[in-house]
Amino acid sequence: MASYYFDNREEFLERLRALVDGGAAPETIRIRMPYQVPEAEEILGGRPSPLRFFALFGGLAGFGGGLALTIYSVLSWPIIVGGKPIVSLPPFLLIGYLLTILCGSLGAFAGFLLLARLPSGAALAADAEFPERFVIIVEEEERP
Amino acid sequence: MRPETLDNINASARVEEDVLAALGRPGWRYLAGVGLCALLALMLFTLWGGLIFRGLGLSGKNHPVGWAMLITNFVFWVGIAHSGTLISAVLFLFRARFRTSFNRSAEAMTIFALMVAGLFPLIHLGRVWVFYYLLPYPSERLIWPNFRSPLVWDVFAVTTYLIVSLVFFYVGMIPDLAVARRRLPGVRGRIYGLLSLGWQGTLRQWRHYGRLYLFLAAFATPLVASVHSIVSWDFAVSIVPGWHTTIFAPYFVAGAIFSGTAMVITLTIPMRRWLRLEPYITVDHFEAIAKILLFTSLIITYTYLVEHGLSLYGGNPFERDQYLYRALGDYRPLFAVMVICNSLLPLTMFIRRLRRSLAWLFILGILVNIGMWLERFVIITASLARDYDPYAWGSYNFSVVEFGITIGSFGLFFLLFLLFARLLPVLAVTEIKQGAEERHEEAGMQGASERGSEAYP
Repeated sequence: MASYYFDNREEFLERLRALVDGGAAPETIRIRMPYQVPEAEEILGGRPSPLRFFALFGGLAGFGGGLALTIYSVLSWPIIVGGKPIVSLPPFLLIGYLLTILCGSLGAFAGFLLLARLPSGAALAADAEFPERFVIIVEEEERP
Repeated sequence: MRPETLDNINASARVEEDVLAALGRPGWRYLAGVGLCALLALMLFTLWGGLIFRGLGLSGKNHPVGWAMLITNFVFWVGIAHSGTLISAVLFLFRARFRTSFNRSAEAMTIFALMVAGLFPLIHLGRVWVFYYLLPYPSERLIWPNFRSPLVWDVFAVTTYLIVSLVFFYVGMIPDLAVARRRLPGVRGRIYGLLSLGWQGTLRQWRHYGRLYLFLAAFATPLVASVHSIVSWDFAVSIVPGWHTTIFAPYFVAGAIFSGTAMVITLTIPMRRWLRLEPYITVDHFEAIAKILLFTSLIITYTYLVEHGLSLYGGNPFERDQYLYRALGDYRPLFAVMVICNSLLPLTMFIRRLRRSLAWLFILGILVNIGMWLERFVIITASLARDYDPYAWGSYNFSVVEFGITIGSFGLFFLLFLLFARLLPVLAVTEIKQGAEERHEEAGMQGASERGSEAYP
């Protein structure tokens, strides 16, 4: 197992590129970054984050839930208020809109915790550090 | 000597040190400030207790002015919250670089302002213990809230805004909490470690983090426009002259961003000095924020003109008389101060020297917020005092209790902000490092070199 440390983003990316071009399998390379570097993701490949589905489903659930709540509540006790229709869509859409944002955000946050595997019990127990420098760790490939 | 700025300081370790230095042992001035603000907050809760036990008669509210200073405070504080979201979410989507100097404190300001704002409808309720009637829950009485009422939209809007802002604030801080964990020893470091959820900065974590931050910014951006629009509909959906107008939503949103920006300036100028953050929050950054202040002030002035034009030329005698009463009646001194603070004084921001004068910006920030508070007061009170029927006209003067609660709300807000400045990283450390590195690269500067290959411990 070899480890490399860098203070500089460009040099970190250069080495990462060289390692991948030199034939190291991306799954054997582990990196730590003090801040986000989108290029590292491009070099190591991998599928795009599926987080968008969590945001989408959260948002849709919020919208549907908002409409269902408002329509159910007025139909369960149908009384005309201020001459407005029982199912008054414009104000109900507003509730749906707000719940879209609320549930979409919470859905995305929950998805993030799930996908990024946080909170990480192992990291907390081992007191693993968030490094100040860029780190590349290359693990040796297991031979069958 | 050239002053240190983000462009020329040695980024990485220095940023961490400078920002986390604020988490050190506080001085006596800070403790005195916390003590004073805590006393003011205590006054708020004591006076609220008085209102609960003795009744709302202790306030100056009356017939016909049933919404007065407490609701003014609610609208004011919700407005203050807005520029936090503007700076953190909208400027993020527009990739405005100066945002990293302000976003953390602006986000904190949003949350604290919303917490303070949320108190006022509860205080105004009188019987606060039945506040849960506002929430939709399956009760044994089979009664649901009236979803056609703007007051119920308000509950949803403000609650959504608070929760989304909290998530955004916390998510933005996770890597910085991990930095605090690394740098601070002992129990405090462990607490920051727990709060950072064991963040290590792996590719997997950063990848999903980047997407999450983008989604949260995208979700929060429409809230900038919608929350204060909904607050404005509390008024505009009614038929009270002076309130019943379609211009209210954009008018309120512009006012909210205007007052919130002024509050960001008022808070960050002293914070920058006390925490020695001059290299990170420069005069250039303040100039950029002052331009937002000027822009929103011009929108406010425009809406004043449109509102008054509609009243005078709209052909509705009630609207015309209400406007004349607002500008020339019992509340005319307040109206005049409002116009001076919101429309005239911000014009000084056209002058570059004044835009870059922190002393003037600080004073202007306070004056703008006085003006914006008065705007809400004049809108709410004057319209209720004189609506259609002269037989039902009246007037309002606030009581000592309401005044004390208002002052106390500022105490509570500043108390929360002071605690934030000592307990959490006040600047976005990782974002500043990223921005500084990108600037270095753009400038063609070569940073430090690889230290070499070594065994991983």
